Amino acid sequence: MIRFGLRLTLAGGREAAVRLVVIALAVALGVGMLLIALTGLNGVTSQNDRYGWANSADVPGAERGVDPLWWQLRVDGFDSRTVGRVDLAATGPNSPVPPGLPRLPGPGEYFASPELVKLIAATPAAELADRFPGRRLAGTIGPVALPAPDSLVAVVGYTPAELSQRAGVSRVGTIATTAPTLCPNGCWRGIPAAGLQLVLSVVAAALIFPLFILIGTATRLAATRREQRFAAMRLVGATPAQVSVVAAVESTVSALAGTVLGFALFFGFRGVFAAIPLTGAPMFPADLALDPATFLGVALGVPLIAALAARLALRRVRISPLGVTRRVTPRPPRAWRLIPLALGLAELAYFVGRRPQTTNGQILAFLPGIFVIMIGLIVAGPWLTMAGSRLVARRADRPAALIAARRLADNPRAGFRSVSGLVLALFVTSVAVGVMGSIAAGQQTPSRDPGVATLFTLFRDEEAAPTGDPVPAALITQPGVRGSAVTRIPPESVPVPKSPAGTFGWPYLLASCDEIARLPDVIQCAPGARTAWVWPDLSGPDDRTGPWPAADVDPALLPTFRVQSIVTLTDGSTAALETARTTLQLAHPMLYSPYSDVEFRADTARVFEGWKRLANVVILASLAIAGCSLAVSIAGGLSERKRPFSMLRLTGVSLGTLRRVVLLESVTPLVIAAVVALGAGLVAAHLFLTAQMHLSLSPPAISFYVIVVGGLAASLAVIASTMPLLRRITGPEAARNE
Amino acid sequence: MTVIEARDVVLSFGETPALRGAHLAVAEGELLAIMGPSGSGKSTLLHCLAGILVPDAGEIHFEGRRVDRLGETERSSLRRDKFGFVFQFGQLVPELSAQENVALPLLLSGVRRAAAVAEARTWFGRLGLDGLEERRSGELSGGQAQRVALARGLVARPRVLFADEPTGALDSLTGEHVMDLLVSAAREQGTTVVLVTHEARVAAYADREVVVRDGKVHSLTAGVTA
Repeated sequence: MIRFGLRLTLAGGREAAVRLVVIALAVALGVGMLLIALTGLNGVTSQNDRYGWANSADVPGAERGVDPLWWQLRVDGFDSRTVGRVDLAATGPNSPVPPGLPRLPGPGEYFASPELVKLIAATPAAELADRFPGRRLAGTIGPVALPAPDSLVAVVGYTPAELSQRAGVSRVGTIATTAPTLCPNGCWRGIPAAGLQLVLSVVAAALIFPLFILIGTATRLAATRREQRFAAMRLVGATPAQVSVVAAVESTVSALAGTVLGFALFFGFRGVFAAIPLTGAPMFPADLALDPATFLGVALGVPLIAALAARLALRRVRISPLGVTRRVTPRPPRAWRLIPLALGLAELAYFVGRRPQTTNGQILAFLPGIFVIMIGLIVAGPWLTMAGSRLVARRADRPAALIAARRLADNPRAGFRSVSGLVLALFVTSVAVGVMGSIAAGQQTPSRDPGVATLFTLFRDEEAAPTGDPVPAALITQPGVRGSAVTRIPPESVPVPKSPAGTFGWPYLLASCDEIARLPDVIQCAPGARTAWVWPDLSGPDDRTGPWPAADVDPALLPTFRVQSIVTLTDGSTAALETARTTLQLAHPMLYSPYSDVEFRADTARVFEGWKRLANVVILASLAIAGCSLAVSIAGGLSERKRPFSMLRLTGVSLGTLRRVVLLESVTPLVIAAVVALGAGLVAAHLFLTAQMHLSLSPPAISFYVIVVGGLAASLAVIASTMPLLRRITGPEAARNE
Repeated sequence: MTVIEARDVVLSFGETPALRGAHLAVAEGELLAIMGPSGSGKSTLLHCLAGILVPDAGEIHFEGRRVDRLGETERSSLRRDKFGFVFQFGQLVPELSAQENVALPLLLSGVRRAAAVAEARTWFGRLGLDGLEERRSGELSGGQAQRVALARGLVARPRVLFADEPTGALDSLTGEHVMDLLVSAAREQGTTVVLVTHEARVAAYADREVVVRDGKVHSLTAGVTA
């Protein structure tokens, strides 16, 4: 019987072939996207782990090992890009070698990533190469030590005597292989993996539902014709068990073919997906690695689900030798179907003010809520469809509306099924756009004069901070540098007054008003003041108003206090900014290189762009999957109603009327359920924002409405694309040859 | 007076000829039976007369108009407004109730729903279908479904009713009952009936019988019709 099932599947004529191809393509698309989402979770971890070696000094016990290196991590920057740099010195022949290097760089040498090598070659020396003074390039750093293919990384060699004298150096005898979970002393890393994994888990969940719907819809394709064939088999003596075997073989073969194709799609497009900088940086294709659990889960799970979907569809009919009958007229859906949706929203509401502390806790808190809402939408959809279609049927005065409404009211589950993928896509869209839009609204900063950029050098280690004049003499004379001011830490004998300064505390550092006056773009001192209480960046929080308050400290005493920061004003050009940074970091080699306000905003924007890109991928993918489900469902529904529709056309019913029937059958449940899905999505987004980020939902921007209207218009286009099929299958020949 | 006429109609399906110069004229109010063995072309001739198929050659006239020269939209509207149809099976819209099925041609012609349903209900008593108004096609017996189809075919008072094997799926007793109703209702309205059947018993209800053989129409009494 299995061989017979295989023959029917593989050599069952055009209809069987079309069915096989459509199911296989649907499954392939599903498998491919699922693999990308699941391996993306591994990719984030792999990428983050490649930051690990540079943070070796942060691992407790790192100094243990033979001939431990003198080691200083430095997070540098160039033109809004981060440069990871490790300065090291070997203390013996057995000092450990960081990954990606053939050997340790000797004093006077450095290794650089390929992208940094290119950048150094293309940039004036004062802006970048001079940060490695008197050193020659010994080679390039291999991919194993690069978080991303375009990472800027350098490993610079020193003598132990040189490096050991520097503040902030450590001993490293063992190189770390994973990213540190905590960075008490500061470290170099990308987006926190745990947070991104939470987002990717939601992404995987958001994709899994529409995919299952697509697979389920595809396996039901031409079910009626298939059932009739099974009835014919029963007539010639096949047992119900044998019919089940044939059905299972058919579904499994299609799903297996689709799974194989899906894996091929995954490997074919892995490079394309890896290049999308979802984490703010692209990944290597190998980062999207298949672990055995993912491989087995998808390779076995998807065909199993497809076979189960086909088996469940067959359970709803009784196949007798004399034909196919539906087991029962479906009972109308009841109002209890709204309960899961309400429960999902209630679950999210519960965590407002009760946000779990750990990422795993947050995953366990928010993910089930999103899942339950999605299940709730699927469960509530038929009831909403029935309620809406009954309303339409009562008011319908035209045949198209009457036929469509009656059909929907008769079997609202089937009516809703064709648009269920789209409804979930709209839910995902409203959550994603609601969350991203609100975060974006919260991040808007006042625009600054583009001709000005402030370079900010912060001395985090107060004990190691210098006194006296920390500003290199060469800095002030450099082209594009407008001036510089120093903030200092007051000694304990000078109490800090709690002057109001917006929502973030009060100014707590001291600065000379003469120096501040040389920087026209920063907040100035109160009239008559010689020394002022200031903020480390001389700008203060965004909502700060008024001048810096006067401090009762003689400016002549200031050089005796430790330095907290150097604020350097430039003309905003890359050349001025990078030359100033080179000068400052040569004078003060610290963990964090001087950084500019422009870079800070660019960095925040880059991370946010990564999230937005991820949201766009999810929206587009779920809409595309939903569009496929809709097309397959409508085409399948049309071919199953070939006979009554052809008969109607023979009796003079215009094609336009039949088109309206098909359109209304899809649009009615779509509009009703879409309104609920969008509403639920925005409420879920608000609850998530409130619970996780203490933000409120901002009114959706115009882009939200563009996506929603675009999605609905695209679904109408999908429906319209099936209309030529309607003309073809309801022609006179169809009625004659049935 | 001739209401519908086929003149020298030729139609092939690919390489297979179905009609090879068929002539047929049907008078107003006449009940004509087209008989013939399977595959003789009798249903094809009915489909040409009704404007469902367009002949490769020859002419179809209805009340003086060339039906074969009309476009698809005009032929659809002609079928909707002037013709009624009863087929062997599968003609009711399964989602609609029996009375909504009967009212469908009126709704398609723009009659308001309440009026269309009221008109449709008058047919239930006449065809012995009282109490079945709200049933769906799946809840009707074959004979009941065929009577609902008959009511639907006649409710818009068509000029011509085309019936293709209307009793083909029914037992003989039910078939006779349906034919009795069809004939009496058509006569009552003065509707012309073109009936395709291969059963002599059904053809006996007709005023005149013709036979289609090898794609041509033969009168049972006078050889090939002129």
